[in-house]
Amino acid sequence: MVELKTFRGGIHPPYQKEATAAKSTEDISLPAEVVIPMQQHVGAHNSPTVNVGDRVDAGQKIGSSEAFISAPVHASVSGTVKAIEGRPDFTGAQVQSVVIKVDPSQPPKWAEKKDTGSLSAEQIRDVAKEAGLVGLGGAAFPTFVKLSPPADKRIDTVIINGCECEPFLTCDHRLMLERADDLISGLKLMMRAVGADKGIIGVEANKMDAADALTTKLGGDSSIEVVLLEVKYPEGAEKMLIDAVTGRRVPPGKLPSEVGVLVQNVQTAVALHDAASTGKPVIDRVITVTGGGIKEPKNVLVKVGTPISHVIDQCGGFAGTPGKVVMGGPMTGWAQKDLSAAVVKGTSGILVLGKDEVEYGAERECVGCDKCIDACPMFLMPNFIVKYTKRGKYDEANRFGVQDCFECGCCAYVCASRISHVAYVRKAKAELAAAEKK
Amino acid sequence: MANHDLVVTAPPHIKGKDMISTGMRDVAIALIPLVVMSLVFFRLYALVNLVAAVATALACEYVMRKMMGREPTLGDYSAVVTGLLLALILPPTVPFWWVMIGVIIAVAIVKELMGGLGVNLFNPALFGFVSLIIISRIFGPIVLGYSLGGINGVTSATPLTFIKGGALNGLRPGYWNLFLAHGGGALGEVSVLAVLVGAAYLLYKGHITWHIPASIIGTVFVLSAILGENPLYMILAGGVMLGSFFMATDWVTSPDTRLGQVIYGVLIGVLIVVMRLYAAPTGAVAYSILIGNAVTPLLNRLFVIKRFGAVKSVS
Repeated sequence: MVELKTFRGGIHPPYQKEATAAKSTEDISLPAEVVIPMQQHVGAHNSPTVNVGDRVDAGQKIGSSEAFISAPVHASVSGTVKAIEGRPDFTGAQVQSVVIKVDPSQPPKWAEKKDTGSLSAEQIRDVAKEAGLVGLGGAAFPTFVKLSPPADKRIDTVIINGCECEPFLTCDHRLMLERADDLISGLKLMMRAVGADKGIIGVEANKMDAADALTTKLGGDSSIEVVLLEVKYPEGAEKMLIDAVTGRRVPPGKLPSEVGVLVQNVQTAVALHDAASTGKPVIDRVITVTGGGIKEPKNVLVKVGTPISHVIDQCGGFAGTPGKVVMGGPMTGWAQKDLSAAVVKGTSGILVLGKDEVEYGAERECVGCDKCIDACPMFLMPNFIVKYTKRGKYDEANRFGVQDCFECGCCAYVCASRISHVAYVRKAKAELAAAEKK
Repeated sequence: MANHDLVVTAPPHIKGKDMISTGMRDVAIALIPLVVMSLVFFRLYALVNLVAAVATALACEYVMRKMMGREPTLGDYSAVVTGLLLALILPPTVPFWWVMIGVIIAVAIVKELMGGLGVNLFNPALFGFVSLIIISRIFGPIVLGYSLGGINGVTSATPLTFIKGGALNGLRPGYWNLFLAHGGGALGEVSVLAVLVGAAYLLYKGHITWHIPASIIGTVFVLSAILGENPLYMILAGGVMLGSFFMATDWVTSPDTRLGQVIYGVLIGVLIVVMRLYAAPTGAVAYSILIGNAVTPLLNRLFVIKRFGAVKSVS
C-alpha cells in the first residue's frame, strides 16, 4: 500500500463522479451564436479588436490588452460579429462581450503539428501569452504571468494539479487518460519556461487509472514523478497541493514562487502543448455536465462562448425540474439565475441539481461546534470571521485572516447552523477593499 | 428557454449531513444509558422528574420563542437535552415542580432571554441547577424541609460527603460501585460506566473531542493526588464524569480552539478540587464549569490558531 500524501483539514464530501468518470470526451454541435466576454481572467479587461459586421475566423484574436496581467481572447468559431455589448457573465456581472453569429461551414484550421523540443523559455512564454492561456482549473490567472516568476525567485518544481478534488467533475480525469502524452509535453514546456528540474503530477487516489496511464507514458523519465494523494477536498487547492507534495507552506499573502514552486492545472498543460505545437489558442475546453438534474451526464468539448442552455440541450436537457444550475463544481461554482451565461476559459463544469437536491435550510446562530475550524485548510477560524463580519467589524475579520481565505467552502459544508461563510467572507473582503481605496 | 425558478446562493451548493438537530439528537441518544440506569435505580422518582423536565423545557422554549417572535426550534432537540441534563444532575427526591422551576430558569432566562441557542453565555442546565441550589438554601428548608445536597431519607448519602468525611471514610462506596452503579447523589451520578458509554458515542460521532474532558479529569486526578486526596475517588464520585463529557463540552459555551479548550479544562479541574476540598463539595463541578463558561470568550480572543504558513498566530 502506497502512502498517500495530503494536507491538514479539509472534508470528505460524497464524490459522485460515477456518472461521467468512465465516459470519453464527446464533441457537441455548434450553437447558433457564441458570446465571448472580453474578461475571462484575473487581471485587466481586454478591448475588442474587431467591429460589428466583421467576418472572423476561429482562432483569430478579437480582444487584447496592453496590461501585464491580462490574456487576449480569440474567436472560438468562424462567423460574423453580430454585436459588441454588455452581457451578464457567469457571475452575473455585466461584461463587454463580442457576439458572433456562427458559420458552421468554416471549421477551424491549425498549423501542422510541430516539435516543441526546440522552443526557448522566452518562446514558451510568448506562446502562452498569444494563446490567451489562463489557469483552466477555474482560477483563470494568466499562465504567461505565472511562467514569468520574479528574477529573485528560483522555481525548482512544477506541479500539475490532477487532483480534481471538486465532487462531480471528471474533465481533468478524462484528459489525463485521453491526452497523457500531451499533458506530459505541456508539463515539460512549463518546466523549461521556469527552469525547473523537477515535474510532479499530483493525482488523487480515486483516479488510479489516470495515475497508471501517466506512469506508463513517462517510462523511465526520472525528471517527472506521479504522486498519489489522499482523496480529500480541497486537495487540489494550490497551497494545499504544494504542502502535500513538497511539505513547503506558502506564507500568507505570498505566491507559490515564494517556496520555489509553480502549480498548473491538467487542462492548462494540455492547452499549452496544443498552442506550442499547432498555434491553437484557448478557444475550447473540456467540461463535465452532470448532476441529478441532467438527462445525459457527460464530458464534452465545448467552444468558449457557448451558452449554458445549448450545452444542456446537447446533454439531453433537464431530468425533472431543475433546482440549481451551477457553473463549475458544487463547492466553489457559481449558481446561475438563468441559462444565458456563456462557457468561458475557466469553466470546469455545469452542474444541475434537481429541485429535491437543493437544500433550503435556514441559517441559524453559530452554536460553536468548531467543525469549521477543524475543516479549514488555511487554519482560520471561520466562525469568528462570520461573527465580526455580521457586526460590521471588518478589521477584526481581517485580524482573523479573512484575506487568507480562498473560499473553498469547507466551513460552510460542515456547518451545523447552515451558515453561508463564503458569502460573509466575500462581504468582508469587499468592505476591506473599499476601505483600502478611501 | 423557460424560466425555471432557479435557486441562487453563494457556494458551496452541497452540504454535510450534520445540523444542530443531529448534534443535539446524538447528545440525547448518548444520555440513554444513563437515563436507563437512573430509571432502574430510582424508578418512579427518576421517571417523574425526567418527564417533567423534558416536557417543561419543550413547552417553555415554545412559549418563549412565540412571545419573542422567533421561529420555532423545537425540532432541534436542544430543549430535550437541557431538560434531560437538568433532571440528571438533581437528586431523585427533588419534587418535580422544583425541577420544573430549574428548567424554566434554564430555558427561559439563560437560553431564550439571552438571545437563543448559540448566543447564551452559560450552559443553561448548569445555570438552572445552581439557581436551584441558591434558591433552596433560602427557601428549601421552609418548603422542602432540607436544602439540596444535604443527606436525605430516600437515597443513601451522596458520595461527596465522604471526601472530607474523615471518620466516615469506612462507609464510603467502593470504586467498582461508583463505576458500575451506585444509588447515592444525583440521578446522573448513578453509573460512571453509563456516562462513559454515552461519551464514547459522542466522541465517535465527532461531536466532542477528548481535549476538554481529558484536561478536566486529568487535572482533578493529579491535583487531588498532590493535595493528598484519593485521586480515583475524586474523579469517580459526584458529577466530574457527567460534567466533563456532557456539560463542559457544550458547543456554545466552551472555547473554540484546542489550546483554549485545554486551558479551560485545566481551569475547571483546579476549581473543582479547590471547591470540593476547601468549600462545599455540592455543586463544585457545576460552579467550576460555569466559571469556565464565563472565561470562554477571553480564551477565544487570546488563543487564535496559527494560520497556514504563518510564523506568528496573529498578524
